[in-house]
Amino acid sequence: MFGEQLLSNLAQGIVLGCVYGVATMGLSLIFGVLKVVNVGHGAFIMVGCFVTLFFFNSLGMSPFVAIPAAFLLGLGIGYVFYYSAIRRLLKAPELSTLLATFYMGVILQEVVKLIYGSEYRGFRWKVGSLSLGFTSLPMAKLYAALGSIAVALILYAWFRKTRAGTAMRAVVEDDEGARVCGVNVGGVYAMSFALGIGLTVASGVMLAMFLPVGINPYMGAEYTLKAFVIAVLGGLASPYGAFFGGLIFGIIENGSYTFLAAIPGVEPFGMTRFLSFAMLLIILLIRPTGLLRAK
Amino acid sequence: MMRTLDKYAAIFPVLVVYAVLFLLGLNMSGMWQLMATLLFYCALGQAFNIFLGMTGYVDFGYVAFVGMGTYGMAVTITSLAGTGLGGLTIIAGYIMALAFSGLLSLAVGAVALRLRGAYFAIATIGVNEGLRFLIEGTNLWGGSGGIIFTRQLNDILGKDASSALATFWADVLVLIIAVLAAITTIVYMRSKIGYALTALREDEDAAKVMGINVTMFKILAFMTSACFAGLLGATAWALKTPYVFPPEVFEIHYTIEAIIIVMLGGAGTLLGPVAGGLIYGIGKYVLSIVLPGFQLLIFAPLIIIIIVAFPDGVVGGIRNKFGHTALGRFIL
Amino acid sequence: MAALLRLENVSKRFGGIVALNQVNMEIQYGEFVGIVGPNGSGKTTLFNVINGVYFPDEGRVLFEDRDISRLPTHRRASIGLGRTFQIPRPFASATVRENVAVGAMFGSRGKETNVNESMLVAESIIERMGLSRHRDKKAELLTPVEKKLMEIARALAMKPKLLLMDEAMAGMHPGEIDRLVELLGGVAAEEEVAIVAMVEHVMRAVVGMAQKIIVLHQGEKICDAPAQEALNDPKVIECYLGYTPEEAS
Repeated sequence: MFGEQLLSNLAQGIVLGCVYGVATMGLSLIFGVLKVVNVGHGAFIMVGCFVTLFFFNSLGMSPFVAIPAAFLLGLGIGYVFYYSAIRRLLKAPELSTLLATFYMGVILQEVVKLIYGSEYRGFRWKVGSLSLGFTSLPMAKLYAALGSIAVALILYAWFRKTRAGTAMRAVVEDDEGARVCGVNVGGVYAMSFALGIGLTVASGVMLAMFLPVGINPYMGAEYTLKAFVIAVLGGLASPYGAFFGGLIFGIIENGSYTFLAAIPGVEPFGMTRFLSFAMLLIILLIRPTGLLRAK
Repeated sequence: MMRTLDKYAAIFPVLVVYAVLFLLGLNMSGMWQLMATLLFYCALGQAFNIFLGMTGYVDFGYVAFVGMGTYGMAVTITSLAGTGLGGLTIIAGYIMALAFSGLLSLAVGAVALRLRGAYFAIATIGVNEGLRFLIEGTNLWGGSGGIIFTRQLNDILGKDASSALATFWADVLVLIIAVLAAITTIVYMRSKIGYALTALREDEDAAKVMGINVTMFKILAFMTSACFAGLLGATAWALKTPYVFPPEVFEIHYTIEAIIIVMLGGAGTLLGPVAGGLIYGIGKYVLSIVLPGFQLLIFAPLIIIIIVAFPDGVVGGIRNKFGHTALGRFIL
Repeated sequence: MAALLRLENVSKRFGGIVALNQVNMEIQYGEFVGIVGPNGSGKTTLFNVINGVYFPDEGRVLFEDRDISRLPTHRRASIGLGRTFQIPRPFASATVRENVAVGAMFGSRGKETNVNESMLVAESIIERMGLSRHRDKKAELLTPVEKKLMEIARALAMKPKLLLMDEAMAGMHPGEIDRLVELLGGVAAEEEVAIVAMVEHVMRAVVGMAQKIIVLHQGEKICDAPAQEALNDPKVIECYLGYTPEEAS
């Protein structure tokens, strides 16, 4: 019974972990390139969830169609926020970008609240489920995980194969050096911010499949915090690290639940979250470049 | 004597603002609650500024210290309720609040202050959230159910006294904390501590080379700031409203509010947090009357605009203009 | 009298790279020493080891016969070790006077100097460095050369016994260098500060003033001799081939 429970939670963790991973890549990308921590990160994921909701409930279309739409919307939002505020704050103390990104999240949250209200919503995409013997996984979640892996692979290819991707990698390594080599660093900043936001909004589509009744304008805060833990796990500045960080986080979060639930007097929901933040602190202190990065 | 007066002149505008707020609240009917809120914001900004403004480190988990102070008072009141100590319980509560927030800040400071910039900010968020979920996960101090101690507070002080405490005296205590924080700020600024903190804020490695024990000064500022936060929690969140729930006292939005107050006014200035507290508090109040339900929608872009337009805050901006005039010494 | 500073077999490695290899050296009280070496020769690492930014992997650093190999930077400052940086690092938002006063407040006489006294110390040093008219200016508003002078003033305010100067003269024109050298010479004699100046080129100004020149090459000390002797050392010439002529001749 315990073993079956554990296996089932681990399977859930792997599937959800892929989504966590892709949902954190944007945060890492933006930090890696601009050294800006997007404190409003979760709100952008929330927007993606509502885009899915709109496509599924209002247009009756498959959530897959929502992925490119959410990405493009995010790209647009990203460019607007970059040119209206972030660009002017890059030289200011950290405080400024931390506050600015937080309030960008608040703007999105309030706009969505204006349109949809603040009650919880969601949808069920009934496409059957896959039986694994010890448990069964809804196909919708499986598709979300596959979609996440696909997005991560596309990003990887884009980084390696395109000029813009190469320029971006150059800026991550050394922005002064890149500037000297003729890279338009300002343009790369703008594109990275927009791309990071686009990815994040798109990841909201994937996450929506896990939240049949959990979508509301304020849901973002929780995912901002999770994304911080994941990003730190994978090395704050590395998008691929973030993907694997997400996978590890999903497995630990879901796996530990089974153990914690077995301890009397412990409230497992709170305890898994405590563990994740304890993990965050320990990694920050002993290995701030992330678990996965070789020194 | 003149020299000393001159040295500490900058505190007078702060005290004048506090006095005006207090007298307005006392003498105009219906204004007390608003003035009390403004005083709370000013005090919070003043307390946070000692760390955030003076060191330049962004503590994104600052509210945890307010929360620990609240718990310190709540735990003391619930456990001493039957002992008949009366008013002494409140004093014990304050000691406990200081111990909670002071010890937490010492522990966090000793380890996390090695991290810089964004890493420190994220670590402190981690401390705040971790603490909240530790309390909920282990069912410590009532777990997610929190502590409600209205009845115990009534038992200790009597019903009338405890309601007077909630509606009036707690706010007066907040005022006193605000004044103490302002005094501490100027004493720090005018002593070697202030120079050490300025130096390490501008360039930590150069500060070390000058002989400054940066770790010690950072922890000093961190603990001072945290202890004031603890006192505020014990007063404005425990004595004024005798209950405490983890999601409420560890809510990240309060940290953001504190940051905005410091930032709006001008980080590292003495008058800044007061200006910031007033601007923020009045702005929030007016919007909640004019556009109830839409405050945040208006407020959020407004704050972004202010951050972009006044990177040094309002007082910081004025100081940049008038820093060398006779006016300058009042703004610090 | 024992040496002011002594390095015994100091080595420092970063990963596989040996930045300093078994370096021995002595600096006497009040001495002016030039440390010369091209980029990557280990000069900066040497300074960082003396200064406490890094601890040596092997060997010892002795200051007035006391082993300071593992002493943190700020403690070294308080026993009389000052330093200036290659690119000046002023406390940007503070005024020139405040910057210099910080040196007096926390340097070797920091314990017995209060804020007001530090301000007075700062004023006299600022005057000496010829920065009086910038006294109440924010440090970030100074020109690069003024920032350099201010940084030297700040270090002198610490009343160090040993002052490490990192490329102090880079970016200055010859007239300014002469003035600075003269100033330093005066201060060094008067206050009995030993000065260790690190330079990339064998400069006329340094050679003229230094009692001794130490040449580093790929982490090793290849020469430690009086200035003129060092200039004629074949090993030094070899390492600087195509590098020195215009300066050294």
